[in-house]
Amino acid sequence: MGLAVECNALVKDFGDVRALDGLSFQVKNGEIYGLIGPNGAGKTTALRIVSTLLLPTSGSVKVFGQDVVDDASEIRRVISYLPEEAGAYKNLSGYEYLEFMAKFTTEDKEVIKESVDVAARISGLEERLKDKVKTYSKGMKRRLLVARALMTKPKLAVLDEPTSGLDVLHSVHVRGLIKQYVENQGVTVLLSSHNMLEVEHLCDRVALIDKGKIVAEGSPAELKKSVNASNLEEVFAKVVGFV
Amino acid sequence: MFKGLFNIIVKEVKELVRDPKILLGMIIVPLIMFPLMGFAIQTSMETAEESMRSISIAVMDLDEGPVAENLTNFLIALNVIIVEVDYLNFTEAVNYVQQLNVTGLVVIPSGFSNNITEGLKAELDVYTVFRGGGIVESTSSSMISALFETFEEGLVVQKVGEKFPETRETVLNPIEMSEKSIIKGKPVNVNPSVLFGLMVLQSTGMPVGIMMLLIFAMQLAATSVASEKEEKTLETLLTLPINRFTILAGKLTGSIVVAVIGAAAYIVGFNYYMSSFMGMMPTEIGVDLATIGLAPTPISYLLLGVSLFVSLLSALALAISISIFAEDVRGAQALVGPLSMLLVFPMIIMMFTDVYALPFPLMIVLLAIPFTHPMLASKVAFTGDYLTAVIGIAYVSIFTIVVLYIAARLFGTEKILTAKLKFRKLRFRKLKK
Repeated sequence: MGLAVECNALVKDFGDVRALDGLSFQVKNGEIYGLIGPNGAGKTTALRIVSTLLLPTSGSVKVFGQDVVDDASEIRRVISYLPEEAGAYKNLSGYEYLEFMAKFTTEDKEVIKESVDVAARISGLEERLKDKVKTYSKGMKRRLLVARALMTKPKLAVLDEPTSGLDVLHSVHVRGLIKQYVENQGVTVLLSSHNMLEVEHLCDRVALIDKGKIVAEGSPAELKKSVNASNLEEVFAKVVGFV
Repeated sequence: MFKGLFNIIVKEVKELVRDPKILLGMIIVPLIMFPLMGFAIQTSMETAEESMRSISIAVMDLDEGPVAENLTNFLIALNVIIVEVDYLNFTEAVNYVQQLNVTGLVVIPSGFSNNITEGLKAELDVYTVFRGGGIVESTSSSMISALFETFEEGLVVQKVGEKFPETRETVLNPIEMSEKSIIKGKPVNVNPSVLFGLMVLQSTGMPVGIMMLLIFAMQLAATSVASEKEEKTLETLLTLPINRFTILAGKLTGSIVVAVIGAAAYIVGFNYYMSSFMGMMPTEIGVDLATIGLAPTPISYLLLGVSLFVSLLSALALAISISIFAEDVRGAQALVGPLSMLLVFPMIIMMFTDVYALPFPLMIVLLAIPFTHPMLASKVAFTGDYLTAVIGIAYVSIFTIVVLYIAARLFGTEKILTAKLKFRKLRFRKLKK
């Protein structure tokens, strides 16, 4: 199995603040890999570097063998990034937004229509897609954005807190979708979350991040076993010495 | 390189045009506000005109001589309503005109006619009733003065005619002056004041229009980038498989399209507003600027168009470069707002004077402002000074290329996400394509 993401000794400084401090991890093709940790641990910064938005201060990141600094354009062709606090263009309708996004990946009208249909199905927004985005609730907007991220069948979906702002039922729905997508479409997912239960349910492997460093890595089952914990929250607390 | 450009332009235009703030502020308000202002002014002017047509003067004739009678008949002949108040004393007459809405009071003192007949100076007391000011009262007062001056001129002509029956005209107008102009080195048989009047009408509107267009465009471009940050859509946009310069070009073009619509709305509204004045002003007929070489030629229009286009690009690129440092729309507009001074300053100067007539340092400052040049081009379009327009275009083009380069560099780096208004040294680390 090849590697979707290779992150080696990644450091990112914002002025005097070190957000990432030698982060290293690998994501295999076709797996769901989760970065988990508290707010400010460096999860979003890591995902932004993988998505070619930020540049590493030092270290390297490769996506399907291509460097995020030297081959940014190529990487953007195969990834889809969902930021944590993403919004959609409020004066466009849901359909217009999805169509606008789909047109960047292909010029084939049939494929564009197919992508938009897929997104309509994923989001479950149905008739509301005809309405302007500014009339959507926070949860509806998030469903639209998750659908946008997955509709073009990217090789790597980078999802920052994918269920952020969703209620319990929609969170379950979105998690099911991501899992189903990976199985059916062969999509690789790199996600971040501070919801340990979500990650435990969704991810094949996880990395626990604290202060810009990985403090533990493995499958949820392995991690729980390693510190004799009943869930990932307990694992994290034990690993960082909180309990 | 420009794959996806049209997609972005369409999105930009839809977003901007559907934004109620932009729709209201830039398109609907000017189409309503200016005509309303024009209507208000037109109505007050018509009221003033109406008042002038119905001037009423109370006459207290204490003289009762032939010249005083002539004066009263003269006023009646000019449709002035005369109210005789000879039977009242002065205090009663004053109260009378105050209460009965009479425009003025004339007191013709005893001996008035005799003095004039004898060639002595005659006195006349003319009162205008002040009821709180305003255009109507001001014009009524001027009208009353004009009436009596006209009567006085008539007396002068009569007196001169009696003294110089054969040469009355030459005594009254000893010099026959013929005012003409020199245009592009050629004498033209047109009065310069007529020419200036026509030129002002045709050339002042253009700098105002250009200024409005550029200010709109800058605000729109700044809004366009800042709203992506505010609405948290920028991150997604920057990870799409599209060249960053294409995003920049899409935003520039979208802003231009909407700015042109907005400026057109302003110009339509402003023209209506101006026409409410112009329609009331006397116009000189019979002077065709084209026949005397003062109408813009196709080349002038072309140069003006090019000058306007490069200036528009530079204004947009400047606004985008600056708005990158703002975190939201309000911040971007606050940052871009002061740039309007670069537009207002040349516009005001160009409306009132020739840039080359200014003191040298001020002229240099003005010419260094790129937005001076399209306004200058709009003026030289009438005079055919193509070289000035071409030099201006070259200068603004260089300025535009530099600013576009800076905007493109900022768009191509992580600065677009991380830059905030901290005046630290900017480091450009470009993502290799």
